[in-house]
Amino acid sequence: MTTQTARVATQEEVRTVSADTALGTKVMKYLTTTDHKVIGNMYFVTTMIFFMFGGVLALFIRAELANPGIQFLNYETYNQFFTMHGTIMLLMFATPLFAGFANALIPLQIGAPDVAFPRMNAFSYWLYLFGSLMACAGFVMPGGAASFGWFAYAPLSDAINSPGFGSNLWVFGLYILGLSTILGGVNFTTTIITMRAPGMTMFRMPIFTWNILATSIMVLITFPVLGAGLLVLGADRVLGAHIFDATHAGAVLWQHLFWFFGHPEVYVIAIPFFGIITEVISVFSRKPVFGYYGLVFATLAITALSMSVWAHHMFATGAVNLPFFSFMSFMIAIPTGVKFFNWIGTLWRGSISLTSSMLFAIGFLVTFLFGGLTGVILASPALDFHVTDSYFVVAHFHYVVFGTVVFAMFAGFYMWWPKFTGKMLNETWGKVHFWMLFFGFHITFLVQHWLGVEGMQRRIADYGVWEGFTFLNQVSTFGSFLLGLSMLPFLWNVWITRKTPDVGVNDPWGWGRSLEWATSCPPPRHNFASLPRIRSMHPAFDLAHPDLAEEDEAEFAELFDESDDSAELVEGGVK
Amino acid sequence: MKAETLVFGFIAAFFALMTPIYWFMAGEIAGTFGLAFAGLLGLIITVYLAITGRSFDPRPEDRRDGEIFEGAGAVGFFPPQSLWPIVCAGVVTLIFLGPGVEQAWISIVGFGIGIWAASGWILEFYRGDYSH
Amino acid sequence: METLDERQVVSVEAAGRSRPGPGVRRMAAAASAVALMALAGCSEQGARLGLPVAASAEAPNMGNLWIGTWIAAFIVGGLVWGLIGWSVIRYRRREGDHPVPRQTKYHLPLELLYTLVPFLIIGVLFFYTVKAQDALVGQEGEPDLTIDVIGQKWSWTFNYMEEDNPEIGTNAYEVGTLQEIPDLYLPVDKKVRFNLNAADVIHSFWVPSFYFKMDVIPGHPNSFDVTPNRIGTYDGKCAELCGTYHSLMLFKVHIVSEEDYNAKVLELAASGNAGSVPLPDSFVNTLPTPKAEEDQK
Repeated sequence: MTTQTARVATQEEVRTVSADTALGTKVMKYLTTTDHKVIGNMYFVTTMIFFMFGGVLALFIRAELANPGIQFLNYETYNQFFTMHGTIMLLMFATPLFAGFANALIPLQIGAPDVAFPRMNAFSYWLYLFGSLMACAGFVMPGGAASFGWFAYAPLSDAINSPGFGSNLWVFGLYILGLSTILGGVNFTTTIITMRAPGMTMFRMPIFTWNILATSIMVLITFPVLGAGLLVLGADRVLGAHIFDATHAGAVLWQHLFWFFGHPEVYVIAIPFFGIITEVISVFSRKPVFGYYGLVFATLAITALSMSVWAHHMFATGAVNLPFFSFMSFMIAIPTGVKFFNWIGTLWRGSISLTSSMLFAIGFLVTFLFGGLTGVILASPALDFHVTDSYFVVAHFHYVVFGTVVFAMFAGFYMWWPKFTGKMLNETWGKVHFWMLFFGFHITFLVQHWLGVEGMQRRIADYGVWEGFTFLNQVSTFGSFLLGLSMLPFLWNVWITRKTPDVGVNDPWGWGRSLEWATSCPPPRHNFASLPRIRSMHPAFDLAHPDLAEEDEAEFAELFDESDDSAELVEGGVK
Repeated sequence: MKAETLVFGFIAAFFALMTPIYWFMAGEIAGTFGLAFAGLLGLIITVYLAITGRSFDPRPEDRRDGEIFEGAGAVGFFPPQSLWPIVCAGVVTLIFLGPGVEQAWISIVGFGIGIWAASGWILEFYRGDYSH
Repeated sequence: METLDERQVVSVEAAGRSRPGPGVRRMAAAASAVALMALAGCSEQGARLGLPVAASAEAPNMGNLWIGTWIAAFIVGGLVWGLIGWSVIRYRRREGDHPVPRQTKYHLPLELLYTLVPFLIIGVLFFYTVKAQDALVGQEGEPDLTIDVIGQKWSWTFNYMEEDNPEIGTNAYEVGTLQEIPDLYLPVDKKVRFNLNAADVIHSFWVPSFYFKMDVIPGHPNSFDVTPNRIGTYDGKCAELCGTYHSLMLFKVHIVSEEDYNAKVLELAASGNAGSVPLPDSFVNTLPTPKAEEDQK
């Protein structure tokens, strides 16, 4: 276990240079890679494919709902489509996308040559790919894909009410996905705890890295619950166990287990993207993150709170303690509010460049704020009784989840594209992309709040002419197709910039702060030719702007500093 | 390791507080166990980090005055590439494909190949170019 | 924070329009009502922020909280959106700006302020929430009549438990089908207790005009009280995915006068639907839940 990094790197370099460009060699490179950057890119490509697949399913759903009656899909197909839409978007797009960004950036941001367990990292990716394919394979099974909704409430998800291999494959495919995510969580936690560069104390890590740590903790706690729940459900379905039988309260037990995972899952796919937003806002405002310590503590508070609010999804079941979950859910508003004010504090008196990346970040702020406000409303059981399981909830979680994941993903792509690929994306097409996506999104989902409050329930293939839902549904459907089309400028952008010259500098934006901007674009195999000295939260900024470099605030940082023992050793050299 | 320990200590403490509150307010078993085990996970890692951290001096990355040269030398062994992750992932998929299509033999085949795949992974660097 | 507190009280009353408060409050109420009208396009439904017309005595508990919460939400939201918009426009990089803005990293008093103030906001919200939810789920006193509801794929069974009612004297039931959605008749101004049970999978009993729904869970009987108070016909639906024809699991609620109600139930009983449809044996709850235990005490 003692081979030097440098040696391995050299050998790898030799290998890369001598490798010919035959297709087989290229394929083998991807099949056998353990490089976190390559695996990160594989995650990006795969999640993007699943994103588009889930999006197409959503367009079918919207097309069906544009008019009362049944036009394009039959009832069962419709149920399969929204089930797979939800499953794909949450577990095959958003969750692996977190792993993608973490892979691509964490070792760079903490100054490590790779993640802690490179082979396990590759293993996670392949489990993700195979598990997803398995869950989607239901579409080619005789009975079709799973159709019991992404939360698979027992007893609807048992073998009597939802027979068929498609549902089985969904259960076991998701188990494999869960396994992949857990291993990813282990990997990132270990990497962050043990592989930071000298001087990179915990309280000098970029907010994105902190958020990945928080997310990994949530993954470690909650995904095993999902895995266990799914295996038990699988045992019920295949082996005839009777754990989730309704006759002995299995229906409510499943909901508890599922939402104990399901609610933190929402944060698993939100918190990393909050981190991306924080980085983007800081870079393009040309200011350090405002209230760094506040942000870190807010993130940890959300991490802990997220696991004590699950039953606000179950207010209408009459089986949960309303005041406890209502209060804890309200509590989440506080750290989230702190984050918002810190983001505004970062923008405040900054020098803001409205690049495509920054536009997406601001789009996120505007969108997510509304999702947060409706979230507070849903945390109140008295209001939840009316709006739960209605389109109000659908609108709410699209504001929260789409607002976070998709807006932040594109913000991250536009900013880090040169770091991932060496190429800059085109700014004009980026702005076209943003405005199409922004308006498409809001036209689609804003009106759904109204529909839900009026009385349109969730997950219906059809509604009555007399109910008066038609007009707003048509507005929503129009918006969704605009939203779908907004992918085209992005894909076109990627296509036209694929052969542009490399940016050739470490930091094409000029104001990058965290350590990934102190290495080349894209970075070499083991990331850093040399590391700058780390004396603050933004070592790359200190390196590029030595005149502005300043030490981090001692009054907080000293709390967690452990340098006393060896202080005299380096004191002279530091200052 | 102080900050790392505190992060997980916070998780442990939060759930140590929430579990009894939830139990007394809701009296519901599944959630109580969920919270208690979440706290336990935090506690295990906290204790591990605290004990491990005591056995060595603060690492360069724990100190605000850590210098890059202090991290020089072997960082660890990083496999340059490996075919085993994809093979093992395929095997896991095969094993769970069995119950998926309700054919036990597929899982049995999966377990069989699995022994080979897992051995391959574990023993990969006992021979060849990168053996150690 | 007292002002926010006050504002919520005011708005709650403004929407109810049942208890005119002192002058100041009335003015504030009028102002908020005007603001709401402007916001929501002046229609009546707009003034209720999308809610359908209320048809039960309990509904205003939710309806008032709904309006009040939205006012609070729009105040907070307006402030934050304003700050975002201001900083993006005001601090946009222009020619001739100082190349490097001041590298402010923190401002402790400000951070404490925006950490602590939200506690007051959610405290107020929580207080009103608990009040409203207790009014919605509380089951004090005996109901005037009881209806046992069974949800089954994909329709509803309504059992009118009227054996002890001297004016009717018999139970009656109606079983809906996919082809023919069932009708639920309710007498106006009488407190109705719904006992909810499911025969197969989870359903959810939702009458949008009651501003209330409750899940219908196999093995977990639920119950709630409601007092319909507005004669008319309303939609009812299943709100929880229950399989293929979930979207067709509808019913009609007819709120009628007591005489009409009695006549309807008797008519139903006379047409061969006397008695009641029991829950299948296998779905009688075998394990007590905390709530069931409480109910027995």
